[in-house]
Amino acid sequence: MPEKFVGAKSRSKEGPRHVTGRGLYTDDFTLPGMLQAMILRSPHAHAKILSVDTSDALKNPDVMAVVTPDEVKRLTKPFKPGRYAAGLKRPIDEYAGAIEKVRYVGEPLGALAARTRGAAEDALELIQVDYEPLRPVVDVREAIKASSAILFDELGTNLAWQGSLQYGDIDAAFKSADRVVKENLKIHRYSSTPLEPFVVIASFDAASKRLTVWVTAQVPEVIYDGVREALGLQDVRVIIPDVGGGFGQKIHLIRKYVVLISLLAMKTGRPVKWIEDRSEHMMAGGHACAQEFEAEAAVKNDGTVLGLRFDEYDDVGGSISTLTIHFTNKLNNLSNTYRTPAIHMIGNAVVTNKCPVIPNRGIGKPGMCYIWERMMDRVAQELNLSPIEVRRKNLIQPNEMPYRTISGNVYDSGDYPGLLSTLLEKIDYDKLREEQKKGRGQGKLMGIGIVIGVEPGGRNAARDMAIFPEMKEPPGSGGINGATIKLEKNGTLSLHLGSPNCGQAHETTTAQVAAEVLGTTPDQISTSIPFDSDLSPWGVAAANSGNNFHLYDIGAIHGAATRLREKVLQLAGHVLSTDPKELTIENGVVHVPGSAAKKVTFAELGRIAYNNQHLIPDGMDAGLQATYYYMFPHAKPNIVPGADRMVRAQFTFSAGAHAAIVEVDKTTGMVEVKRYLIVGDNGTVINPDVVNGQVYGSAAHGIAVALGEGFMYSPEGQPLTITYLDYGKCSTA
Amino acid sequence: MKQTIRVTVNGRVYQEDVEPRILLAHFLRETIGLTGTHIGCVVGECGACSVLFDGKVVKSCLHFAVQADGREVTTIEGLAKDGELHPVQEAFVKNYAFQCGYCTPGMVMTSHALLQNNPNPSEAEIRKALAGNLCMCTGYVQIVDAVKEAAAMQKNRE
Repeated sequence: MPEKFVGAKSRSKEGPRHVTGRGLYTDDFTLPGMLQAMILRSPHAHAKILSVDTSDALKNPDVMAVVTPDEVKRLTKPFKPGRYAAGLKRPIDEYAGAIEKVRYVGEPLGALAARTRGAAEDALELIQVDYEPLRPVVDVREAIKASSAILFDELGTNLAWQGSLQYGDIDAAFKSADRVVKENLKIHRYSSTPLEPFVVIASFDAASKRLTVWVTAQVPEVIYDGVREALGLQDVRVIIPDVGGGFGQKIHLIRKYVVLISLLAMKTGRPVKWIEDRSEHMMAGGHACAQEFEAEAAVKNDGTVLGLRFDEYDDVGGSISTLTIHFTNKLNNLSNTYRTPAIHMIGNAVVTNKCPVIPNRGIGKPGMCYIWERMMDRVAQELNLSPIEVRRKNLIQPNEMPYRTISGNVYDSGDYPGLLSTLLEKIDYDKLREEQKKGRGQGKLMGIGIVIGVEPGGRNAARDMAIFPEMKEPPGSGGINGATIKLEKNGTLSLHLGSPNCGQAHETTTAQVAAEVLGTTPDQISTSIPFDSDLSPWGVAAANSGNNFHLYDIGAIHGAATRLREKVLQLAGHVLSTDPKELTIENGVVHVPGSAAKKVTFAELGRIAYNNQHLIPDGMDAGLQATYYYMFPHAKPNIVPGADRMVRAQFTFSAGAHAAIVEVDKTTGMVEVKRYLIVGDNGTVINPDVVNGQVYGSAAHGIAVALGEGFMYSPEGQPLTITYLDYGKCSTA
Repeated sequence: MKQTIRVTVNGRVYQEDVEPRILLAHFLRETIGLTGTHIGCVVGECGACSVLFDGKVVKSCLHFAVQADGREVTTIEGLAKDGELHPVQEAFVKNYAFQCGYCTPGMVMTSHALLQNNPNPSEAEIRKALAGNLCMCTGYVQIVDAVKEAAAMQKNRE
């Protein structure tokens, strides 16, 4: 069947509401009697909480409730340690708020609800907290010295986790090398800082013990599980309306605020809304991890890389809940595009008095790609070879596909040398090098950077067992993701997804896929926003990064639409007295080929399906609705690591090659990007405009981070970048 | 102590009692219920709350509601007429000039203001005009394309 909608231009379904201001974000909802909350936060990087006095605040008649650290401890349970806290020497309780100690500026330790936001802001100032300041721990290398102050007394060290993993014979690689190339690499703290900050509304019905939360979150299950566990409630409904940007920011930390705001709703018996302000987000909304790598490559004189070793130091901030997230994710693209037969990774997760780390646009994967691509350039420099030649020497070849990497990832297809050649051709690489040479003579500093990388998709949580052999059971594995599709009484279709949409055009692309399968048009399909845990299907993989959506959600929608198509044909076959196998569907009309009069529309079928029992064929499962839970059918072998620790960290691997041509101002050091070219092998593209937008957006953020945007701290652990201007967010200028 | 103000928003007069400290952005969203104006920073850095104030584009978080007394404000809700998108809005939809949609109302209002003053802007002029409107999702490529197309669409209309 030729594809009509998949891969074609299709009008955006989200666009009309966004351009008219009719998107509905959490802050746009108002409930009767709703109160406004503020969060009580630490002004210290590291301090003991001695006492919290709320009496003055409570004298304000507009103040309805305050939640203190004592109450958080008494009324809630700590979150269950997540998979990124695995490997901790002993468990550490993490509550929704700080209990005895604060460990970063901005750490929440309580909350207050008042009748207006203004009253809440005023009253917050009246809460008196006595702190005993402790020595701040800011620098990773200092943090691991015996002389450092300790964040978590239970651990007795700030080196909260250390571990290593080795594939191939790394000692042999280094022994047989002609040369060892070493380099120290660093990535600083940054984040995508979604324009919509955290927003939560909580409403508690005390009589039925039912909690409803509206929240701008990316992963429903993190909120659902976290809130139920922390508050000891069974009946929780999570509603996720339009989300004003996610990028990973709105997965983990936000659950703390949902718990604190829910406590206020439970205390007051009224709905409570909380909106984070920008500076709160910049200091406490989560940062991508600062990572330092001591990397070394064992190489032959011809540029062949025999082995790679990196010793990684992660500055994970003042929480243990995402301790190893940047290290474990390096298994996803550990080999990048290269055949190197031995890799040794060593991880050190260091807690410091800074904002906790969160997943942000790729988590550890940009770091892994950076290690590879920087080392390739360093190898070329030391061997006096061209950086292109060194890469070519080590690339996995198209005739080796499908290729199993040394850690067990399976690359099903790809032509990496071809990608590189296309890129070089498009930028006219040889001519650029000549220009560069000529420019140098005239004092002009032009830089040409070429990189290549895989972009893994489709998560597999069992991956972590390779890094934590003490883990007996996988913390989950593969991905199971649902979708529901319903033919309405008027013949249109509605879709319910397991993933909220944070700007990746879920509504547009799912309509294209469903229209393709069902023989209708995307304009006849609407996708339900918000996500509502009462109505929407679940998915362990509803983690919402684009690299899960393309596999798990699209798989689920395809499956649900296929099931519904069968039902539509079964009913139509009965109505038209024709074998369903002979029917075709076009533009929402089921036809008997060769017989122009014999047809039935989706609208007619919709009326029959819910209204006219005598027209339903015997044995048909009534109702034109289908739910399908998708699992990736090729997830085995190595979905769970064996003794050799081989594991499929992710399941799909697209690839891209980038070229940056920059000019450096000799006097100021200012870097100007003259050209930036991306060549991608994206597999089947459902909507080219959407995919281009995602690629532009992440490339722009990567460039901005490389050229300077980022978070900074004073030696005392005070955040210095709490506005967009301080942080250096890039604009059109 | 509340003050009474009369503000014309999208052609309609609103008379409301407001606290002097209420920002225009909050007045639009919470007092008169026009939630299309978004708030991303409340300190004038992100531009999500951009509206027209007596015809000029401003950041509504940098104005108090009381300053709008007797003035005319146009918000994103005031652009489309009878369900038909304004050319700038149509160009944004066509070019996928948004992802999460949170910056979009501000982007559209600023682009609209630019094209009113300069119907035929160069790319550099577009980029300069939009420099006060931040977008975290798109990298701006499709937004700039949309403004170019909106200029062409408006020209063809004349």
